Amino acid sequence: MSQHKTITVALAGNPNAGKSSLFNALTGAHQRVGNFPGVTIEKHEGYLDYKNYRITVVDLPGTYSLTPYSPEEIVTRRFIIDEKPNVVVNVVEGTNLERNLMLTVQLMEMEVDLLVALNMMDEVEQQGISIDLDQLEQLFGSHIVPISARNHKGLDDLLDHIVSVSEGRIEIRKNKVSFSAEVEKAIDKIVGMLCHEPALDKAANHRWMAIKLLENDREVYTQVQKYPVWVKIELALQEAISECGMLHSTDPEALITEDRHAFVRGAMQECVRKPKTTRASASDYIDMVVLNRVLGLPVFFLVVWAIFQLTFTLGKPLMEALAYSFGLLSETVAPHLPAGMVRSIFVDGVISGVGSVVVFLPNIVLLFMGLSFLEASGYMARAAFVIDKVMHRFGLHGKSFIPMITGFGCSIPAIMATRTLKSRSDRLATIMTIPFMSCGAKLPVYVLLAGAFFPPAMAANVMFGIYLLGIAVGLWTAWLLKSTVLKSDSEPFVMELPPYRWPTLTSVVFQARMKAVMYLKKAGTLILGAVILIWVASNFPRSSALDAELATETARIEASAVALELKAEQRQKLEARIDAGQLEYSIAGRSGKLLEPLIRPLGFDWRIGIALVTGLAAKEVVVSTLGTIFSIGHAAGETSLSEILRSEPGFSKATALSLMVFVLLYIPCVAAVGVMKKEVGTWKPVLFYSAYVMLVAWIASFITYHLALLWM
Amino acid sequence: MKLSELKAGDRAQVSSVAAEPAVRRRLMDLGLVRGTELELLRFAPLGDPIEISCNGLLLTMRRNEADGITVHKLASAEGRQHGWQGLRKRHRFGRRA
Ligand SMILES: Nc1nc2c(ncn2[C@@H]2O[C@H](COP(=O)(O)OP(=O)(O)OP(=O)(O)O)[C@@H](O)[C@H]2O)c(=O)[nH]1
Ligand SMILES: [Mg+2]
Repeated sequence: MSQHKTITVALAGNPNAGKSSLFNALTGAHQRVGNFPGVTIEKHEGYLDYKNYRITVVDLPGTYSLTPYSPEEIVTRRFIIDEKPNVVVNVVEGTNLERNLMLTVQLMEMEVDLLVALNMMDEVEQQGISIDLDQLEQLFGSHIVPISARNHKGLDDLLDHIVSVSEGRIEIRKNKVSFSAEVEKAIDKIVGMLCHEPALDKAANHRWMAIKLLENDREVYTQVQKYPVWVKIELALQEAISECGMLHSTDPEALITEDRHAFVRGAMQECVRKPKTTRASASDYIDMVVLNRVLGLPVFFLVVWAIFQLTFTLGKPLMEALAYSFGLLSETVAPHLPAGMVRSIFVDGVISGVGSVVVFLPNIVLLFMGLSFLEASGYMARAAFVIDKVMHRFGLHGKSFIPMITGFGCSIPAIMATRTLKSRSDRLATIMTIPFMSCGAKLPVYVLLAGAFFPPAMAANVMFGIYLLGIAVGLWTAWLLKSTVLKSDSEPFVMELPPYRWPTLTSVVFQARMKAVMYLKKAGTLILGAVILIWVASNFPRSSALDAELATETARIEASAVALELKAEQRQKLEARIDAGQLEYSIAGRSGKLLEPLIRPLGFDWRIGIALVTGLAAKEVVVSTLGTIFSIGHAAGETSLSEILRSEPGFSKATALSLMVFVLLYIPCVAAVGVMKKEVGTWKPVLFYSAYVMLVAWIASFITYHLALLWM
Repeated sequence: MKLSELKAGDRAQVSSVAAEPAVRRRLMDLGLVRGTELELLRFAPLGDPIEISCNGLLLTMRRNEADGITVHKLASAEGRQHGWQGLRKRHRFGRRA
């Protein structure tokens, strides 16, 4: 067996260049891909075996330059500098070379072992752009491999090149971009000083350090500042600044960037031919409507509304079919199980509990498909543009909006996605709004309650109303925070709009399948566990008095001289009454009763209280707990959960609305709270926030309940 | 004049970029350096931010950031009627009053 040699490859490039797509294509991973800048916020590692090599691939957050700007971009620079990967693959968007090559120039300056992957060749060909690769290689000094990450084209060629570069078989010519005379003079001077500083690493790239010093790079500043030579360097920098000011009426930093641009522009003129277009592209037409002064906001609301409408309307028949089959299942299974405990745990516990969650699978998958369409199409960044001013009024940022939309799926990735915001106070304010963006796990609660208590035509609108309420409370919270504890200057908003792209069918199907599998897994693990616990808690301890009563009463009925059917009916009534009594006697019942005074004003009885507490584990558990608790005392497969709820005297329309509002607003699940703590840094604000959230939820539900009682 | 003073459809060339250091850096990385030609495409529905196109990409920024960018106008929207300029003229809801 031949030994594997290991190669570490870093994928670096501008945001939205297709690094994660390439990473997935190479390693078979499923990192998130989306058509807007700033999808990846952490580095991810994966590996593959190619020929005799084990290649570790590292996907990095996108960055526009190597003087980093937002927290996730710093990750990229640190990785390249500190971890020194064997090969840096610069993923470049072939349709957008001018901006992308700016980063390539900076990587050249770092003298890393560079390989350029020219991505999106499919789009390049489609747009009729021709690129002279040989000439471009000459200018940049490193090899350029055309690929299409999305279509898995050119990957073997890329891997061959990676191997060759790491083996040193491909020479990387250390081409230099030459800057304006004054800058070059300053660079030479500073390099001379750095060379004569004995404490400094001789192997370090002094030219790069000099350039970065001229660019006011804080990290290199602090690195050099501790040496005696700093005094001289500072003088040289001062001199460069005044010279550039005099001769070019600008500063070295801008001059360096201008020179890089000039280099790239020159290269573009030599190597790239774009067909002349006089007509507007489809993308321009779409933007004319979507970003229109008058239509922009209505279109935005329409899009969001359409997603929820789709989730509910299209999902309903599928959901009902699933619910029906679960009913059938428990009817067929029940007679085969021994009566008593075992039957109860399967029928009331597993089937009613887990089943009540699983039936919402179609809705969940549809919701996520809608969201991933937003992410993949390129509308996300445009929505941020349209809505920025509104967000700004509340002290937030257009870019806060992207995590917020992600939050409609799940709060956890959404909270992490706030890392694309530069200012800490904006980040915190955005994190605090996300739990109010009703996540996918809360959807089953709404679908259940809205479906049970409102006519189909109204149900989708009630749900949409709930979502709007969440957004409103979220924005209000942000405003409150930003005008009190998180006061700060507003973060600048500078963002690129990506071209529209059609999500591929395979990726849509794949995403849907993955979401479905994840949901089912959650149902089979976390929710099943919670269901069993709830079943145990609501069946033990048992009251022996009630057991005795059951026995004597049953005997009495059996002995009585009434007709058989009447006997059966009486027995059923008796059992229901005893079961209800046992439930109240159980741990769940007793702790629920303790809680009841607190939630009575909201229209909730102790059973809902139990469901809310268990919902802290995961919001779907609210539904499964209701399923388990309310099905105790009902015969197997007798009726669906929504019918049971409707038939409960204590459960009115007002209760349903109030419960939806409460579930929308109260503390997010433990996993989300954990991530919040991780991103915020300390517990104190998170605990304060949780208390605040509870208070808001209580007040809002109270108002809802009493208004609903008045009006309905 | 300032970038933020252009009207939708105007073309201009950047003459200087001033902003807080990190923002200036970002603007320059995105291609807004001296000499870059750009076109102001539109204002967002509520009048802020703005969208420009330069070097074949679409950029958006708030007026606040656009205030720091000095440009000189090359051609105004009224002057040109052909191509997709003309098309926008016909559809110009996006125009600032
Ligand atoms: N047509 C085409 N689209 C591609 C190709 N590679 C990636 N894309 C699309 O480009 C967009 C961005 O892809 P990502 O892989 O998320 O980009 P990224 O570089 O990881 O982006 P960040 O994580 O934001 O830095 C997605 O919509 C992809 O579907 C390609 O080869 N051809
Ligand atoms: Mg990525």
